Amino acid sequence: MIETDPFGKQLVAFLPNLRRFAISLCRSRDLADDLVQAACERALANTERFEPGTRFDAWLFRIVRNLWIDHIRRQRTAGPQEDIEQRQDLVGACGERDVEVRFTLNSVAQAITDLPDDQREIILLVCVEDLSYREAAGVLDIPIGTVMSRLARARKNLAEAVGINPGLPRSPVMKGENRNDKMRVC
Amino acid sequence: MIRCEFADETLMAFADGELDDATAAAIEKAMQSDIASRVALFLETRVQAKEALGPVLDEPVPDRLSQSVQRMIDEARRRSVPSDASERAHVVAFRARDNRAMPRPQASWIMPLAASLVAVVFGCGGYFFGFASQNQPHGLEVAGQDSPLSEALGQVASGEEAVLAGSTDRIRAVATFRDGAGSLCREFEIDSANRSTVISVACHSNHGWAVNFAVVAPARDGGYAPASSSEALDSYLAATGAHEPLSREDEAAALRSLGQ
Repeated sequence: MIETDPFGKQLVAFLPNLRRFAISLCRSRDLADDLVQAACERALANTERFEPGTRFDAWLFRIVRNLWIDHIRRQRTAGPQEDIEQRQDLVGACGERDVEVRFTLNSVAQAITDLPDDQREIILLVCVEDLSYREAAGVLDIPIGTVMSRLARARKNLAEAVGINPGLPRSPVMKGENRNDKMRVC
Repeated sequence: MIRCEFADETLMAFADGELDDATAAAIEKAMQSDIASRVALFLETRVQAKEALGPVLDEPVPDRLSQSVQRMIDEARRRSVPSDASERAHVVAFRARDNRAMPRPQASWIMPLAASLVAVVFGCGGYFFGFASQNQPHGLEVAGQDSPLSEALGQVASGEEAVLAGSTDRIRAVATFRDGAGSLCREFEIDSANRSTVISVACHSNHGWAVNFAVVAPARDGGYAPASSSEALDSYLAATGAHEPLSREDEAAALRSLGQ
């Protein structure tokens, strides 16, 4: 059967994924919905830019992220009406943190939320959305080597934050490590 | 002691199935408990991250958003000419929305992973036996062909539970299936009275039953509980080319034939 509008259909199908990625980016459901809407608009206006044979969701994530970066940049240059600089708790300089989220998500989700922006987004793309390193590198516009070093750092931080330490006895010595203790590894 | 031959990036790529074969083979060769646990960290963080954010995917998309996107789609469709539409029909080879499966894992990471969990399994009652050799990927041999576990594996029908002889531990047979090589395998769980649940797969060969996969899901008091148990199992089953579970009748017949 010939699908009359596969692009639109797929866009709708990926809305939950786009929303999840956007929520993680800006840590606010309201902002995320606006972001996803803007991304869909841009995607629909640029359908010819999608390369067949590549992952549609990766393409969409890239649009979402670029719009978000634009948004942050504009906010930074737009002056003090949002006062983001004073909100020290918002690493991502995002408008409003959805407080209720903090209570409904589990500790792993919270730990992911608390990661630095660049580490959080890469965990989302690779671990949660199953993009390959190469695809993630394309979304983030960084070399694949940077994807790997950032992703490894992110996961070690996450593991430390939630106490993942598989295969090893949880001794006091292990617990005493901190994330800056790079010397332990090598 | 921590070994330093492999960078975190390399071990992570191994866990994610993104490593070239040669390096992957080198890691397998060098795989020892310390490296296995480092790899396991990356396996575990991936699974836990995915699991933690899974619920967000199940949230209904707000009407306001879905309606406005649908409106934009409709408008775009009106604007587009028919020939354009046929061109766009190429855009169909997407993955399913909720693709929960891990990417195909490195062909044989699962054995090293199992190795990293051996210590935990040892603590669980002595059904399992050490490796025949580090290099022989035959899994853990079940201690003795007439051991309680061997006996149970040959008798308990899937869906049923039994108490392992000589203990208070319970075995729950989950399914029987053939792996990619045609060996008869059984997925089962063992609950010990005061410990955790071991989720395991054992396959039968000429030498009897061997445990090829085992993860422990400990109680959730303080420490972390590996959310990866079932996903690790899924990955293992996918990696070994496991077939669909046998029907009750086929299972009974297959188990009978083992005893002969």
